[in-house]
Amino acid sequence: MTVRASARGLVKVYGRGDTRVRALDGVDLDLDAAHLTAVMGPSGSGKSTLMHCLAGLDTATEGTIVVDGQDISRMSQRRLTALRRTRVGFVFQSYNLVPTLTAEENITLPLDIARAPVDRDWFDEVVDAVGLRDRLHHRPAELSGGQQQRVACARALVSRPSVVFADEPTGNLDSTSSAEVLAFLRRSVDELGRCVVMVTHDPRAASYAHRVVFLADGRLAGDLRDPTQQDVLDALGGLAL
Amino acid sequence: MTRVALRGVRAHLVRFVLSVLAVTLGVAFVTGAFAFRSMLSSTFDDIIATTLGADAYVRGADELADAPAQGGTGGGGTATGFGTPRTPVPVALADDVARTDGVARAEPDVSGSVVLVGADGTAVITSGPPSTAFAVQDGDPGVRLTSGTWPSGPHRIALEDSAARTSGLATGARTQVVLGDEPRDVVVSGTFAIEASPAGAILVGVDERTALDTFAPDGLVPSVSVYADPGTSQQQLVAALAPTLPDDAQVVTGDEARDEASEGVEQILGFVETFLLVFAAISLFVGAFIITNTFAMSVRERMRELALLRALGASPQQVFRSILAQAVVVGVLGSALGIVSGAGLVVLIQRVLAARGMELAGSVPLGAVPLAVAVAGGVGVSLAAASVPARRAATVPPVQAMRDDVRPERSVATPAVVGAAVTLLGAALLVLAAALGSSTDETPTGLGLLDDLDPRWVLAAGAAGVLVGALVLSPALARPVLAVLAWPVLPLRPLGRLARGNVTRMPRRTANTAGALMIGMALVSVTGVIAASADASVRSIVDQEMAADYLVDSATFTVPAGAADAVAAVPGVGETDPVRLATLELRSRSDGSGGAGASPAGVSAAGVRPGFFGRALDPVTVEGDPAAALADGQAVVRRLAARDHGWAVGDTVSLRGGTRDLVVGAVIDSQVVTSDVVVPQDVLDALVPERQQSLRVVYVTAADGTRPEALRDGLVAAVQPYLVLSVLDPEEVASSFADQVTRVLNILYALLALSVVIALLGIVNTLALSIIERTREIGLLRAVGLGRLQLAGTIAIEAVLISVYGTALGTAVGIGIGAALPGVLADQGLTTLAVPWGQVLAVLGGAVVIGLVASVWPGIRAARLPVLDAVTTD
Repeated sequence: MTVRASARGLVKVYGRGDTRVRALDGVDLDLDAAHLTAVMGPSGSGKSTLMHCLAGLDTATEGTIVVDGQDISRMSQRRLTALRRTRVGFVFQSYNLVPTLTAEENITLPLDIARAPVDRDWFDEVVDAVGLRDRLHHRPAELSGGQQQRVACARALVSRPSVVFADEPTGNLDSTSSAEVLAFLRRSVDELGRCVVMVTHDPRAASYAHRVVFLADGRLAGDLRDPTQQDVLDALGGLAL
Repeated sequence: MTRVALRGVRAHLVRFVLSVLAVTLGVAFVTGAFAFRSMLSSTFDDIIATTLGADAYVRGADELADAPAQGGTGGGGTATGFGTPRTPVPVALADDVARTDGVARAEPDVSGSVVLVGADGTAVITSGPPSTAFAVQDGDPGVRLTSGTWPSGPHRIALEDSAARTSGLATGARTQVVLGDEPRDVVVSGTFAIEASPAGAILVGVDERTALDTFAPDGLVPSVSVYADPGTSQQQLVAALAPTLPDDAQVVTGDEARDEASEGVEQILGFVETFLLVFAAISLFVGAFIITNTFAMSVRERMRELALLRALGASPQQVFRSILAQAVVVGVLGSALGIVSGAGLVVLIQRVLAARGMELAGSVPLGAVPLAVAVAGGVGVSLAAASVPARRAATVPPVQAMRDDVRPERSVATPAVVGAAVTLLGAALLVLAAALGSSTDETPTGLGLLDDLDPRWVLAAGAAGVLVGALVLSPALARPVLAVLAWPVLPLRPLGRLARGNVTRMPRRTANTAGALMIGMALVSVTGVIAASADASVRSIVDQEMAADYLVDSATFTVPAGAADAVAAVPGVGETDPVRLATLELRSRSDGSGGAGASPAGVSAAGVRPGFFGRALDPVTVEGDPAAALADGQAVVRRLAARDHGWAVGDTVSLRGGTRDLVVGAVIDSQVVTSDVVVPQDVLDALVPERQQSLRVVYVTAADGTRPEALRDGLVAAVQPYLVLSVLDPEEVASSFADQVTRVLNILYALLALSVVIALLGIVNTLALSIIERTREIGLLRAVGLGRLQLAGTIAIEAVLISVYGTALGTAVGIGIGAALPGVLADQGLTTLAVPWGQVLAVLGGAVVIGLVASVWPGIRAARLPVLDAVTTD
């Protein structure tokens, strides 16, 4: 099993003096290829910070992060931008799409930015996987919430990134749309061989994952493999105690 | 609620900075216009007080009213030249006056134009103020010797201090002057100072005998200055003098003369002020677009906050007032800064003019009324501009606080319909104006009501209609036009597409931003069309009209008589046609009806040799045969004069004095002839004494068998001693006419530049604010890998698109309005429509530059947004 991204001794401190907060307090984590990993934890546990640091959106105070064999903790902004363009895909909770671009243009946006050619076969495969072929020329405003998130997922995959980071991808969706998006993320791992990391606080969403890691107060507090929804609920209950 | 409003301004001060700046620039312009005017006023008052320092003036009883300007008057430059010209009085009257009780001294006012040769051997040419020579002697009030002695004899002159500086001549220096007709060698005997600033005029003192010989060879002067004995008041002096004067002379107090003079000056300055204020108003109007956009965006962004206030019980009126309170802060702040910078601006102008030899009065006076007008303008514009978004804010439903989405912009269907209607109406008026103006028919449309309209007002209404219509229509046009304009940048994936999306998603905002630029650019292109058309009209007409090979012209508007003879004596010269100008007095139409205050109307007349038409000039003939008319001793009348006075061929024009009536022999249309009537020289001599005529130009035709080119060197050599004369071929004549137009238009361009600068600020403002609004989207783009340069590039493309859109629309509107001008202004000589396509392309190129410049700061700001902040913003 290959490791696509890893963190060692990750510490992130916000603020100084009285307002000093240790959002991450020594996290060690390896993310495996062909795995859907869910990160869970109560509000303020540092799960979003962990993801932002792993994705190169935020810089860690201490520790090293290696993505796809490259140490990104000392990278310049310019190289981080290039990394995000080529090695990393993103799905956010909301505001995922550029409203002025069509669905197709949104999906190919990272390739356009990198001025890379669009691999049509791969594009078709991804579009068929998200089931949006008949929606490609619509603007985001003309798509439902679930459809928008699926476009975002397609965009995150189209440049064949090493890791896809999804931050509460179903946070704003109803249960039917959530199920569509989660099923697709799982399929992209099982069938397309991607590595996906998803931050969520929905146990049902976490139950789609191969592995669930729990964070509390900036530290790792649990690690489940192929959990059921009940396993996740139990683990969360344990954290609350 | 006021507290909420003020906190809002303080929290987002940066957001309002450009709005404040827009108000500042407009108000600075208003203040500057007022201050400049009052500075000029006080400068001229000083000059009047100095040059009209006597206690009373004896002068001609009759005004030469309505004397039209003759191709750039000026040269006259008499000390009493501020008021209306009058009939002259004899020099000998001064002696009679001096003998009257209570009179200390009486001096005839003799002065006239002079050409001074500076230390570098070339004539000292001012950029407007006159060069005047006048009699000075020891004991004259108002002048004080600063070095050397007062001049005596025909070959001595004294120079006013600033004239000495400008010319580089010091006491004892030898130089030349052209005094009256002839150049003469002189020595500078001394320098003197006057009490006021000469404001750039070149003042040369000569002794009284020389002045009289030169400027009053027939013994007539414009007036006699009278100084009272100590203890005699101005009124007593006038009362004592009045009974002693002949019928054709009158006496006024010094105060009256000064008041009359300043009245004339004030009138001219009033025009200058109005002219400047028009441009200041344009600047404020353009600035209003920035304010509207700023408040619209601020309201949009604060929608939830405003909805919350409404939910907490604030009434729509309270919300409305809270937004307007912010507008008041912007207006007051901007006005205060504007007044300060306006005053600074005028001081700057003063320094620049002083450095170029035009000293103006020292202080920058600002009355309470101008200040109040400036502040009212600044605050008023700010309030009016903010009231539209404020009304929108007031109508936010409280439920909006609970909703996450932002209301979309209103549809552009209504503006499309209204704008198109207003534009079409305006266009129809422009067509009507052109039809009315160009028609010689009394009833061009056949509809009585329409035919009575003044084409200029129709033109103004049409122009306003098209401009306003285009402004209203602009949001509806934005999407399709920008889609086309963005074509060239679409291959720049994904930047072109992103930029196009950003400028088309809020068509109202884009249109507003571009609207400011549109107004400026519309005016620029109207000016451009006028310039190009004037140039083309003048060239085509002068080329057609001028039949002579050369024209001898004078920088002082008077050709010395000796020069005309010298030109005629050049070998190879066939014919010379001197043109002498004079003013004729028409028999007043109100004569007999006893109307008090009816003054006789003056017409400008030119005296020429028979055969002038056909040999020297070949003007467009409207009616009759000009050459035959001159041969018969009849008058040739310019079409405009014929129209104004209701003359037709065969009519008799009676002149005041009744020595001779004129018969209208032909009507012509001419660009070169600016006199109302052209008569044979012997007729003019019979009507007007020779000293009241001035030799304006000489046309030169080569003798048979002599090539015109061969003549030039001889002509140039013949006029060279007269310093101020130039020899022009028809091509150069056309250019010199065109240059006059260009000079005026350059001033317009400079004034319009300010509104373009404000429009540029508007683009900066809109982009900067829309970046704040698009923080999350920018974060998303950066998160998926958009580089900083790419982001800045996208913003640059947006700016260029907005700028080119505004410019294209403005240019189209401007050319449309300009196209109607030749129809309306044909009488002013604008007969040919020419669109300066080269300039249009240059302006569009300039628009690209404007866009790029405007995008620099917003681009840097956007690129500096931290990605994570952008992604996680609520």
